[in-house]
Amino acid sequence: MNHTTKNIPTDPKNCLTDWVPVGLTNHIPRGAVVRAYIDQFDIAIWRGEDGFVRAWENRCPHRGMRLSYGFVQGNRLTCLYHGWTFGGDGICHLIPAHPDLTPPETIHTHIYPTCETGGLIWVALASMPAPAPVIKGAWTPCRSLHFVQQITLAALLADSGLSSTPLTEYAVCATRKNQTQAVLAIQPMGKHGMMVHCSIASCDHEAALHDTSRWLMTRRAKIEDTVPE
Amino acid sequence: MISSNAPCLVLVAQKWSDMKLYDYVLSGNCYKVRLLLHFLDIKCTLEPVDFYPGRAHKSPSFRRINPLEQLPVLELDDGKTRICDSQAILIYLAHKFDPSRHWFPVNEPEKLGCVVQWLTFANCITAASSRARLHDMLGYTCDITAARAHAHRAFRHLEDHLCHQEFNGINWLAGAQPTLADVACFPYTCLAGDGGIDIFIYPAIQRWLRRFATLPRFHPMPGINIR
Ligand SMILES: N[C@@H](CCC(=O)N[C@@H](CS)C(=O)NCC(=O)O)C(=O)O
Ligand code: FES
Repeated sequence: MNHTTKNIPTDPKNCLTDWVPVGLTNHIPRGAVVRAYIDQFDIAIWRGEDGFVRAWENRCPHRGMRLSYGFVQGNRLTCLYHGWTFGGDGICHLIPAHPDLTPPETIHTHIYPTCETGGLIWVALASMPAPAPVIKGAWTPCRSLHFVQQITLAALLADSGLSSTPLTEYAVCATRKNQTQAVLAIQPMGKHGMMVHCSIASCDHEAALHDTSRWLMTRRAKIEDTVPE
Repeated sequence: MISSNAPCLVLVAQKWSDMKLYDYVLSGNCYKVRLLLHFLDIKCTLEPVDFYPGRAHKSPSFRRINPLEQLPVLELDDGKTRICDSQAILIYLAHKFDPSRHWFPVNEPEKLGCVVQWLTFANCITAASSRARLHDMLGYTCDITAARAHAHRAFRHLEDHLCHQEFNGINWLAGAQPTLADVACFPYTCLAGDGGIDIFIYPAIQRWLRRFATLPRFHPMPGINIR
């Protein structure tokens, strides 16, 4: 089934109970914040100095500025617009316009659970998600590619000569003949298309990274040439 | 790194020569030049041109400075010679003021070829990304869908290249150190969002932008807020 045909409710709490991959672990170093989409949901993802990844609705509770424009200091994220500063738990700790005020705990960002496994960062939109995925083994991040169209994992792998084992709804472990094992994962982004994230079994040569990337690029070209926009 | 003392002395002497840059603070092409002036610590007089709303680059007096009616223009200290086109200005400045030859590696032909390839490519990025930005920010008319599609084609190519560089442990477009290629491609990649071109779908580009912003003597321009 094509993902786009799914009837997605507008309240994320009621939809997608599954964990969705949003990037490779090395894409968000300590102190960095990035923007990601899961379906139509806009998300700010950042890593504090403590190494933990946080995913928040990309909307400041103050005036709605994108939190992905903000900056990370220690384990806090500060909104670029008026400097409201939120802790790793999403609670607002500082409002620069009222420096003496302790903000009430009711002022907080909307937070989503995150985990890291298989060389990937995962986010769950549901407030009661399925258990976090665990992908055994050591994996080296390879790369992420943007696809203009959103397709299913099955369509990504069809006629590809890969043998694959499902890991989650969005990821498989795939092996090409005589080649490195890879985790292939898709991130549906609605009108923004999709990202395909890939990590490969560790202890491999850098040639395996190039080789895997070339394979993915060929795959992308083939799919984008055949699937109408 | 500076290889010997002699060129260093020349550098210091020349750094204070009096050039003039016809400049507009919100122009990414002018920003390229200002970036390199900072990196090389070169003093240069900035001559602001009222690009918007004044359209001073279209005035008869500016047309005498650059008949193409474009910014930036670098006027050399003879007060006569003028260099137009940001890439050309970068090459002039690096050749004249960087004795280490890192920014423009004229003594390494293979690397030089790569750098020039990306300098040319920077013009593709600019043509598409800057057009979309002028459309969204200043209300210029253009085929905005085509401009954004062109920009995405360029950024996908840049993304693939940067990924493969990273596999080899190389952080920059044309080698282990930043060159003019990085300076030329940085501004309109970083400013793409102003033209409605989402670059969060290019992770290696974002990593490269972050690395660039941590270079010593880097300074941002309005609209650029990475750290
Ligand atoms: N290839 C030139 C392009 C310069 C350019 O397009 N400059 C813009 C300002 S960022 C401009 O002056 N546009 C006015 C026009 O082209 O009429 C360069 O790299 O310097
Ligand atoms: S919108 Fe974020 S602090 Fe005002």
